[in-house]
Amino acid sequence: MRDILRVNMTDLSTTWEPVPDAWKLYGGRALTDAIIYNDVPADADPLGSANVLVFAPGMFGGTTAPNGGRLSVGAKSPLTGGIKESNSGGQLAHTLARLGIGAIAISGIPADPAARYALTIEADRSVSLTRVDEWAGLGNYETAAAIAATRPAEDRFATATNGPAGEAMARAAGIAISDPKGYPNRFAGRGGLGAVMGSKGIKAIIVSDKGAGFLEHADKEAFVAATKNFTKAIKEHGVSGTGLPMYGTNVLTNILNEAGGLPTRNFSAGSFEFADAIGGETQRATILERGGDVSHGCSTGCVIKCSRYWSDKDGNYKTKGPEYETAWSMGADCAIGDLDEIAELDRACGDLGLDTIEMGATLAVYMDSGAIQFGDAAGALAALRDGLADNVIWDGAEATGKKFGVARIPVVKHQALPAYDPRSVQGIGVTYATSTQGADHTAGYTITANILGVGGTVNPLSPEGQVTLSKTLQIATAMLDSLGLCIFVAFPVLDIPEAFVAIHEMLEAHTGTKYDIAALMQMGREVLTMERLYNERAGFTSADDRLPEFFRTDKLPPHDALFTVTDADLDSVFDFVPETAKEMGLQ
Amino acid sequence: MNVDIALFAYLSDYQPDGKGGRGARPFALEPGTTVADIIRTLGLPDEPRVVFVNGRHAADEALLAEGDRLAIFPPVAGG
Ligand code: SF4
Repeated sequence: MRDILRVNMTDLSTTWEPVPDAWKLYGGRALTDAIIYNDVPADADPLGSANVLVFAPGMFGGTTAPNGGRLSVGAKSPLTGGIKESNSGGQLAHTLARLGIGAIAISGIPADPAARYALTIEADRSVSLTRVDEWAGLGNYETAAAIAATRPAEDRFATATNGPAGEAMARAAGIAISDPKGYPNRFAGRGGLGAVMGSKGIKAIIVSDKGAGFLEHADKEAFVAATKNFTKAIKEHGVSGTGLPMYGTNVLTNILNEAGGLPTRNFSAGSFEFADAIGGETQRATILERGGDVSHGCSTGCVIKCSRYWSDKDGNYKTKGPEYETAWSMGADCAIGDLDEIAELDRACGDLGLDTIEMGATLAVYMDSGAIQFGDAAGALAALRDGLADNVIWDGAEATGKKFGVARIPVVKHQALPAYDPRSVQGIGVTYATSTQGADHTAGYTITANILGVGGTVNPLSPEGQVTLSKTLQIATAMLDSLGLCIFVAFPVLDIPEAFVAIHEMLEAHTGTKYDIAALMQMGREVLTMERLYNERAGFTSADDRLPEFFRTDKLPPHDALFTVTDADLDSVFDFVPETAKEMGLQ
Repeated sequence: MNVDIALFAYLSDYQPDGKGGRGARPFALEPGTTVADIIRTLGLPDEPRVVFVNGRHAADEALLAEGDRLAIFPPVAGG
């Protein structure tokens, strides 16, 4: 039995309601979407009272399903203007799920814009909203310390906190989620959800699960058997069993550089002369030298363990990772070739509460304007820290590019492109262009077949086969995001058939619901259908499913590549939506 | 003829000069040498790999030419 906790910030009321029967297999992204689709008018102001900020663990949250602890955060996005789901690791998903909470849905805005609230849910499910005005303006790390000081000794709790950028309602603001050690270093980063949290006056969400165990299953024996099969598949695949635990996500820097797909100096080249200095191999060696932690899970139950902590030269914790996306955005894209400088920028983003993908891309655009030089790490840090006087940097790449007159602005649906150039990795260009989320690599991670040789091979430099690849992965990802599984389980799932069977068996055994395995992919289609219809209502058309023109006209060295997937092909990605909408009884 | 060989992640232990590291090394070979021949000569572990010649994916049977850059990665990924 799962419940939705409704919080109304206008009258400061909280109420519980059961998750409706129609959504009994919906968790994570499916549940955040369903709530937003039903409750938030498509023309609502994202920072206004009608928007709803939803936090939902996936269906495997609170269980021992391997890598099942991901959290979905959703709302209408102040950055894209469409529906948004931002996915995070950290402990909050498990903590919510263990209390039987399917989702927290926060609506309304408080009368006093200066008020700051902490929403606290205790292990007995008592809920309180308390004024914490004295925390206004604190960075995420100080907020974490302030929260810890209010909690009883021996408590076990997880948090979602909002930094100064979110409080300022900046469009690049993300929400920090605490990791197993309590560091606020995991992020629902994309799409400006921190600004939505800021508009609602929420500084922190604190959830205790002290004394709560893992969730019960309808058929425990079958669940345990299926988790064993799933773990086996994850461990035996080279990527999830060896590559990711050893080097973390930043192992990608050298491989994308080799393929000419590592966007450099604001997407003007596909390789970076200091790639190896900022890549995963150098990162691992440096962390080991400094006595740091090179491999752990971002939440309990992770068996891949791609997370790591970066320590400064004195061996003190500085920040997580840095992850590949951050090593790229603050590194190659800004032409900064030093991991300590990148870690400093990552820490600043983490503390201020800013999406590192959006901010790195923004700083690269800012450098491209000539305001500071490419490679100027100190200048980048200063620009990041003041957000510039009028906050334009904190509003992201498009706002910054427009203000400073930059021609090359790498965004789709107003959201900055992540760390793969669509000219030399054409499949990811299809995902960036068509995703309901704005440019988003995780929405349909075609790097698998385009670059890594996982799940087959599709030539990254040719338009052939890219639409089918992107479409299939977008559907599969929407399903994984709803179950609460980390996207990195996709590597074994794509290559080892038993892994997908194990997911189906785990879900049946956990919920006690029997259904055809094909229903899993149908769930993915339903998620995308809700998102697509919502965005249409919000005014999106096929013109929004396009990359910026320069990807078709400016050749990218070293392969002199251009993005050549046709508009007609891009428009075919969501051809299943009308039929799925009919099956769901929508419209 | 010569090609440059770059080995990444834990494969860098197999560099032809035994010195490790990821910098590319020149490697002398006979015309007609394939990617598979080099993998065998270096004694790389038998597991899926990602192979690039001059920044493009190359199959095991691909023939190498003077001045080519061969880069080999073990199965890795991220996001
Ligand atoms: S594989 Fe990485 S991102 Fe996924 S759950 Fe584990 S630590 Fe988190």
